[in-house]
Amino acid sequence: MLLHIQKGSSTPISRQIRDQIREQCLSGVLKPGDRLPSVRELARELAVNVNTVFRVYERLASEQLIELRHGDGTYVLPPPGGDDAGLAEQRGRFESEFDQLIHRGLLLGLTPADLKARLNRALRSAARAAK
Amino acid sequence: MSESVIRVDGLRKSFGGPPVLDSISFEVRPGETFALLGRNGAGKTTTIRILLGLLKPDRGSVEVAGSDPQVHPLAVRSRVGYLAEDQAMYEWMTPVELCRFLQPFYPTWDAGLTDKLLDRFELPRQTRIEHLSKGQTVKLGLAVALAYRPEIAILDDPALGLDPIARKEFNRDLIDWLQAEGRTVIYSSHLLDEVETVADRVAILDAGRIVRLEQTDVLRERVQRIVLPIETARLLPRPDGLLDLRQHADHVEVVVDGIDAFLRDLAQVGIEGEPAELTLDEIFAAFVIGRPKGWPEATSPVIAR
Repeated sequence: MLLHIQKGSSTPISRQIRDQIREQCLSGVLKPGDRLPSVRELARELAVNVNTVFRVYERLASEQLIELRHGDGTYVLPPPGGDDAGLAEQRGRFESEFDQLIHRGLLLGLTPADLKARLNRALRSAARAAK
Repeated sequence: MSESVIRVDGLRKSFGGPPVLDSISFEVRPGETFALLGRNGAGKTTTIRILLGLLKPDRGSVEVAGSDPQVHPLAVRSRVGYLAEDQAMYEWMTPVELCRFLQPFYPTWDAGLTDKLLDRFELPRQTRIEHLSKGQTVKLGLAVALAYRPEIAILDDPALGLDPIARKEFNRDLIDWLQAEGRTVIYSSHLLDEVETVADRVAILDAGRIVRLEQTDVLRERVQRIVLPIETARLLPRPDGLLDLRQHADHVEVVVDGIDAFLRDLAQVGIEGEPAELTLDEIFAAFVIGRPKGWPEATSPVIAR
């Protein structure tokens, strides 16, 4: 599971982890039946408090995105309701955040060319990270 | 289970002058990771030295693992692993010699575990300590503090002087060897981004007092910033928990501890506020250097500065 945690962000660590796992579940990067790392493994991997990771898993389980099987492990569940409403909602939210970000960039005096170059750089580094 | 392993009540300490600690009270529960945050001179190290029985408080009581460190310093020391700030070690010894030297002082010293820790932390066994890097020295300090399997680890600014990679590794070791094992950890730091990822609760210390003690997550939820037109601010009473107020020409920027209540006040006058979340750094700054003075008055005009 590929997660990217940004320290010193105004988004709390727990929400960063929760949102990324949720997005990966809804978008199909994580498939139903996939096994997630144990709480301790993920805590160690991300260098994040064990209790924080545990609470994130509990929260995702209460949203029925994952299942904590006692003594066995944590598994991805089929998307709730079986429809793509969750994914559509996530994408809608992403689009509005993206628009706001572009708007802010322009207000800060970045040119469209700057913004395009930045987007390309971000896409390249994301592609590298995914490898 | 909910019994506290560390209990500090009404601590006061001065070194002749004004108090460096005043009315410090807190409790730490078993298995909890508790962070003391503060600028240099806020009282972090003094608090830790009192917990270990190295300093005597002028007033107040301390209990660590069921003992008063002033009365039973050895009982406390045998159950607490301590990593001192800028730990001065025997520079001419090698890590192996240091362990051999320390072992007899601790009845519960586990030589097998020590060996494993030296391996895991990739510490060169036969290199003199003076030739180790800062990161390696801190890891050696941690290995030594863990070698006698203490229930409690007290770490005084362990990240001091480490580069970002070494800090991340250190956090990982802390999580792996302490948190995941259910040990209780108290550590002090001024690097708040590091703290956020590992601490269950934080105490913000300023000039010898705890100005706020809260679960890390809760603090992030409660303390937020909001920008309001000055006209709106005039309609409202000064909010409880105001930490910082900046008045600009036509709007005010406020940081409030208890954003929910403030949003309800705003809703009462028909305004939907849009609060912004803050980094732990910004929250810390609001508590320590925020200026909560004044509030736009409904009647008198406000002069922009």
